[in-house]
Amino acid sequence: MFLGFASWLHKTPISLALQHQVAWLWPVCETLHFAGLALLIGVAGMFDLRLLGFMKRVPIGVVKELMPLALVGFTLNLLTGLIFVISQPAQYFGNYTWWLKVTLLLIAGLNALIFETVYAGRAASIPAGDDTPFALKAVAALSLISWFGVLWAGRMLPFIKLGPAATL
Amino acid sequence: MEEFLIRLQESDFGVWVSSAPTLLAYPTILMLHTVGLAMVVGPAWVLDMRLLGFGARMPIEALRGAFRIMWIGFAINAATGIALFISEADEKGLKWIFWVKMASIAVALIVTSRLRRVVFGGGKVTEMVPPQAKMLAVASLALWFVAITSGRLMAYIK
Repeated sequence: MFLGFASWLHKTPISLALQHQVAWLWPVCETLHFAGLALLIGVAGMFDLRLLGFMKRVPIGVVKELMPLALVGFTLNLLTGLIFVISQPAQYFGNYTWWLKVTLLLIAGLNALIFETVYAGRAASIPAGDDTPFALKAVAALSLISWFGVLWAGRMLPFIKLGPAATL
Repeated sequence: MEEFLIRLQESDFGVWVSSAPTLLAYPTILMLHTVGLAMVVGPAWVLDMRLLGFGARMPIEALRGAFRIMWIGFAINAATGIALFISEADEKGLKWIFWVKMASIAVALIVTSRLRRVVFGGGKVTEMVPPQAKMLAVASLALWFVAITSGRLMAYIK
């Protein structure tokens, strides 16, 4: 089913346009994808470390003010990632490791959403210097694990080609 | 020079890295190089952006710990970088873009250590950022981006 979608996508005008640009577009997007991941993991990782109990003297709400930078990194990577997938859909849709990356991405996103909706208010009210409750530490640990998992799967997917794309 | 590079590449270790039939060789080393990149460049850019005025309520003093993460990341990348270089010494060592990467990292390290001295060197951190620190922050932002770009282009430029 996904491979059918992949081959349809591959023939769409936008995919064809991207494929014809691929000589310069691909390395530029890869570079931005690496820069974006550094920004995202740098900022989100710092916030997670604060939730885990590092830099206790800084209020959580203050560390959170850096979060727009993480969002810049995420947006950069979403856009460049979409360009990869639209130009070479079968290579990704047909590789289970890419699906693992997408799953980890969803876990990371859902975890961030749960933090925002359930815990953000409580986190902001923790006075500087106080320890964070277990729930916040768990959210932070899951965030770190899932973001580094996304990185792992993304970097390993050219080497672990399981699924229909193995023969590509 | 080239003979030496070939000997490196054809050493047991070089051949193991480039062609051992295990994910623990080339793929994992390359992946760890990306983990190290995130640990070096991520905190460096956060510090740079803070010094340039972003997130101004964040005390600069709190970012002192960033250097420890960067240092661990740099150790990972020096080790994995050397392993990757050995495995492809003949292809990589003669590329000008590889030397652009090395030069940008060398200058970035000098800039980072200066930045550390200027901002954190005098015991108590002043929250007023001196102009020199701002210039170093701009240089750090740009140099790490050049390092990432030239590293990526090594796969494309012959």
